[in-house]
Amino acid sequence: MAIDLSRRGFLRGTLGAAAVGGIVPSSALAEGLASPVPSAPADAMVATTRVETVVNGRAEAFAVDADETALMVVRERLGLTGTKEACGHGACGACAIHLDGTPVASCLLPATALLGRTVTTIEGLGTALHPVQRAFVAEDALQCGFCTPGFVMEAVAFHDRWRAANTRPPTRDEVAAALAGHLCRCGAYPSLYAAVIGACAGRYDGADPAPARHEAREKVTGRAVYTVDVQRPGLLVGRVLRSPHANATVHAIDLSAARAVPGVKAVLALVEPGARVRYAGQEIAAVAAVDRRSAEHGLAAIAVEYVVGVPAVGIAAALAPGAAAVYEPRTKNLPLHFEGVSFSLPWEGNRRGPLDTSILARPAKARAAVADPANTVVHARYVTQAQVHTALEPHACVAEWAGDTLTAWISTQGCSAMAEDLAERFDLARDKVKVRCEHVGGAFGAKLVFSPEINLAVQLARAAKAPVRVANERAEEMIVGGYRPGMDVDIAVAATPDGAPAGMVLTGLGDGGVSVGATNGLMARLLYPDLPKALEDYDILSHAPPGAAFRAPGGPQALFAIEQSMDALAVARGEDPIALRRRWDPNPIRAMLYDTAAAHPLWAARGPRDTGRYRRGVGLAVGTWYYLFSPGTQVRLDLADGRLTASTAAQDMGNGARTVLATAVAELFGLAPADVVARVGNSEDVHAVPSGGSRTTASVGPAAQDACRQLQAELVAWARRGMGLSRPVAAPEGVRHEGGLAPWRDVMASAPPMTMIGRRRPDEEGLQLGAGPDVALGKRLPGAVQLTEVEVDTRLGRVQARRVWLGLGVGRIWVPALARSQAEGGVIQGLGLALYEERRLDPRTGRGLTIGLEDYRLPGIGDIPEIEVHFEERGFEHVNGGGVGLAELATVPAAASVANAVHAATGWRPLELPIRPDRVLGGVAS
Amino acid sequence: MIRFPTDVAAVAETTGELRAGGTDLMERRRSGRATGPVVDLRDLAGLDGIEVVAGGLRIGGTVRIAALAAHPGAPVGLAQAAGGLATPQIRAIATVGGNLAQRVRCWYFRNPQFSCLQSGGSSCLARDGDHLYHSCFDDRACVAPHPSSLACALLAYDATVDLGGAEGPVTVPTALAALLKGQLGGAPVLVRAVNVPAPLPGERAAYVRAIARARAEWPLVEVVARVVVVDGVVTAARVAVGGVAGHPLRREAVEAALIGGPADATRIAAAAARATDGAQPLPMTAYKLPLLVGSVQEALERAVGVS
Repeated sequence: MAIDLSRRGFLRGTLGAAAVGGIVPSSALAEGLASPVPSAPADAMVATTRVETVVNGRAEAFAVDADETALMVVRERLGLTGTKEACGHGACGACAIHLDGTPVASCLLPATALLGRTVTTIEGLGTALHPVQRAFVAEDALQCGFCTPGFVMEAVAFHDRWRAANTRPPTRDEVAAALAGHLCRCGAYPSLYAAVIGACAGRYDGADPAPARHEAREKVTGRAVYTVDVQRPGLLVGRVLRSPHANATVHAIDLSAARAVPGVKAVLALVEPGARVRYAGQEIAAVAAVDRRSAEHGLAAIAVEYVVGVPAVGIAAALAPGAAAVYEPRTKNLPLHFEGVSFSLPWEGNRRGPLDTSILARPAKARAAVADPANTVVHARYVTQAQVHTALEPHACVAEWAGDTLTAWISTQGCSAMAEDLAERFDLARDKVKVRCEHVGGAFGAKLVFSPEINLAVQLARAAKAPVRVANERAEEMIVGGYRPGMDVDIAVAATPDGAPAGMVLTGLGDGGVSVGATNGLMARLLYPDLPKALEDYDILSHAPPGAAFRAPGGPQALFAIEQSMDALAVARGEDPIALRRRWDPNPIRAMLYDTAAAHPLWAARGPRDTGRYRRGVGLAVGTWYYLFSPGTQVRLDLADGRLTASTAAQDMGNGARTVLATAVAELFGLAPADVVARVGNSEDVHAVPSGGSRTTASVGPAAQDACRQLQAELVAWARRGMGLSRPVAAPEGVRHEGGLAPWRDVMASAPPMTMIGRRRPDEEGLQLGAGPDVALGKRLPGAVQLTEVEVDTRLGRVQARRVWLGLGVGRIWVPALARSQAEGGVIQGLGLALYEERRLDPRTGRGLTIGLEDYRLPGIGDIPEIEVHFEERGFEHVNGGGVGLAELATVPAAASVANAVHAATGWRPLELPIRPDRVLGGVAS
Repeated sequence: MIRFPTDVAAVAETTGELRAGGTDLMERRRSGRATGPVVDLRDLAGLDGIEVVAGGLRIGGTVRIAALAAHPGAPVGLAQAAGGLATPQIRAIATVGGNLAQRVRCWYFRNPQFSCLQSGGSSCLARDGDHLYHSCFDDRACVAPHPSSLACALLAYDATVDLGGAEGPVTVPTALAALLKGQLGGAPVLVRAVNVPAPLPGERAAYVRAIARARAEWPLVEVVARVVVVDGVVTAARVAVGGVAGHPLRREAVEAALIGGPADATRIAAAAARATDGAQPLPMTAYKLPLLVGSVQEALERAVGVS
């Protein structure tokens, strides 16, 4: 089997021969991940044809070449950055523009095609909001907002077409057909349906509605600026050279030719000779240049020689006799795909572990129970796949130095944390570092850490003495942008003859490439505490990129095994799965949810198993997560000219931090949220928590309330001192005094400027295991219960989720509309894991195969079931603010509930994800 | 380099890759997979119409997919195939000729890190690698299925194709087959038009696209079926399938098993089982056999109107 090791073809040989230890000179660019270059710079660099066109009503003319796209014209030439690039190959629709009124994917449209045509971008829709934009604002049909301009452009065209021809509103299916070319990674689809149908029904023809989300208007008009949109004078483009080899040693690296390439301003080697390469895509060198093409030419001129070995791709290869060791045993500081600490563990070959989490869980009793023939025992192996985060805004950083002051625009989940990291890494005083992340186009855990693009942008900017942007292209994001690792979980669960918990024995293998963090046992510990458990996890190291924490890291994978086992046990015992769980699960939050679920028509009206082609079934699974918050989070509240500004160095990646801030303040002053200026995404504001582990709302909200209460005390004092009111006291509506009530608005209007710093005070009761200012573990575990109805087409192998009921017990809901959106998004990401998504690597080279959004299948709008979210608000009265986070809880049960539903429908239990047509056909036939 | 030929003869004189809608080519140029001069068909006149000719259709090569899907005269199977492929935004730009001439969607071909049979290499990397979405008829060295849904439909409709500078159909009907099998050599092949004969009296048709999600996905298997039923008996049938081989396949054995028999579910099921005649699945594509049978059955049932 021959593989060309160089795209240019001057070096050919077999991988096996190279693996013997030959030195492989390699044209760096030819091998770089997503690092293409035109074969002849001369023809590619020459603008050859003049295109006259009209964009948003203005005549424009450009000289374009064969490779320029309409997207480049609007974003780069015209600076119309409302139009986004996300996938770059026509699959996601973020780049939609109107060409003579028809939506088209501008990333694939040759610029030459604009000749004599009329282009409208999101900026050209007009100054007044279109009914579709109003509907998006009112229905919260967006979260991070990065895909929103594309959806708006498509929906506007559909709306105008529809209403010209119909008097009835469209059906969901008609909307799905029209919006089939758009992907929303946050999963705002249920609200997108509501918005488009509502606009077509004429419900948004009138005045602009109050926005559900604080910054919604900016997002639906394309004015929201993300890191990839930031423009700076003299901004350079940074690109990364990545290893094409998954297992290699760098023998030599020569940057001299790259430095001589016209337009290249800085070149950095990121490795030294002798460095190990452990996955295809690993960073080798970086270039900053005046434009993308020059940067690509610079990468092409970097000469790297590798000594190439055979990579171990996947768990089986990594454990095979003779497999190359990925690390020296006991290597420290490994990348983590778990939000926690790295444990020191035994290590043999590529197997690291076990991490035994059975302490005080009676493991010997558990092992005896699953071996006891008197018990009912279910035993199976459950295998999940790698799910990539692939936020539609890629990892990106723009770095700019001014003297010894660094400003970094970062697409991040940790505004304060990144500023602290930058100060430490570059040895800067904290006040010399400014991080900006006003809008973040999705993250889901992948943007929590100080990732390479940040480091590279800062270093390249310093070397080039100019601002530099480093942003992943989609092909890079799909491979090195982070993923939820697959888990291979062997699990046996036993019940006594009378149905009492007898034992669980679980052995998990984590497939996180060069990263570690398999913690299936920890998830098991959070559930069914009366069940004796023997729990061991291993990390199997292999030549694949590092995973990253992904919305409940480890949760969905472990629950896929645990909750299917519980379902199988109920089936084996012939009892209702809810009845079994009620006996085994003492969690008081889920106890309330079980009541609601059992009475829900979806569960109560389950029928006998179908035998025809289409088979419906309902599956149940539970979810759990921790309640975390950040004791160090602060909110600053400024009163000036009667107007309130709340600010904190938090970030809003679609999680709604800005809206929580504005709502918390508005509530206590009797205002509308829109009356409050809410600012996040600026590290110079007071410290805030990184958004991970669902800490943001549970930290920012109470801190904002604390600031409000302090301000109210000052306003009462002002009412006495400055307004001359007699015996004033704070009341919900304002300052009550002997002469009546002065509304807060009036008191604030007369008050001098005031500033308060609110803090996230501790809860009234409960254990608070603190690990620094940003993490504390609060008392009580929140709970989730999900019901999913699927329809299995046994002829064509397709599983469709039709209806979902998700019960969440997280206490008080701060902003119901946004909480619902976030919960729906969690369900949809879980459905993606259950049914569609799967990163695949070439088994021989370890290179990515699913490097775009065609081969990597995200859920589309047509795949979305009816989703009902039920909030159980009791149970967290002890928590400051009354409520905890929900992002993880909303996504952990989905895959297990889908699988249990497939079993209910067909009698076949899916042991592997995703539940693809080939697996369904094989499973149902067997 | 880029050129804008204005007539068919000028296209024949150029070298370089043709670009109509560009929805395939631009992705390959972006990734570095396609390089060299571009022959942009923007200014080429006269190929963007659909005419009714002798009861059939003559569809210009630069007709947009969306226009074909919406054309009232387009036969059902062709219109459904056109309307079912890609996304609305792509269909608005992509052309009939481009759809037929597009390159394979194999993840080894599309990733410029690999060099395979389709990109100058010496072996098919999918064959010995990951071929989950590849062929189950092992009909050529490259195991990527042909990506054109229109090709599958045109095969079912006995269409012919006018290529390049020729005055009429190059050969009837082998030009289409030759085009799809990549047997026309390295020169740019301009699809001037496809000719779809008049439908048979009373014929009914259906298109089935087997995918994991609801929409916007390359087919695992696709089928276009046409049948004529007279007094409950099948008198004519055409079944073409895609997504399973290096080019779309007519399934004559299925057709033969239908003709002369009752148009009922039992007969259809038996006939559909013949769809896999000659299949040689790869290790990871055996699932496509039952999926192909099911898809053919589905298309025939829809066409006939039984379930």
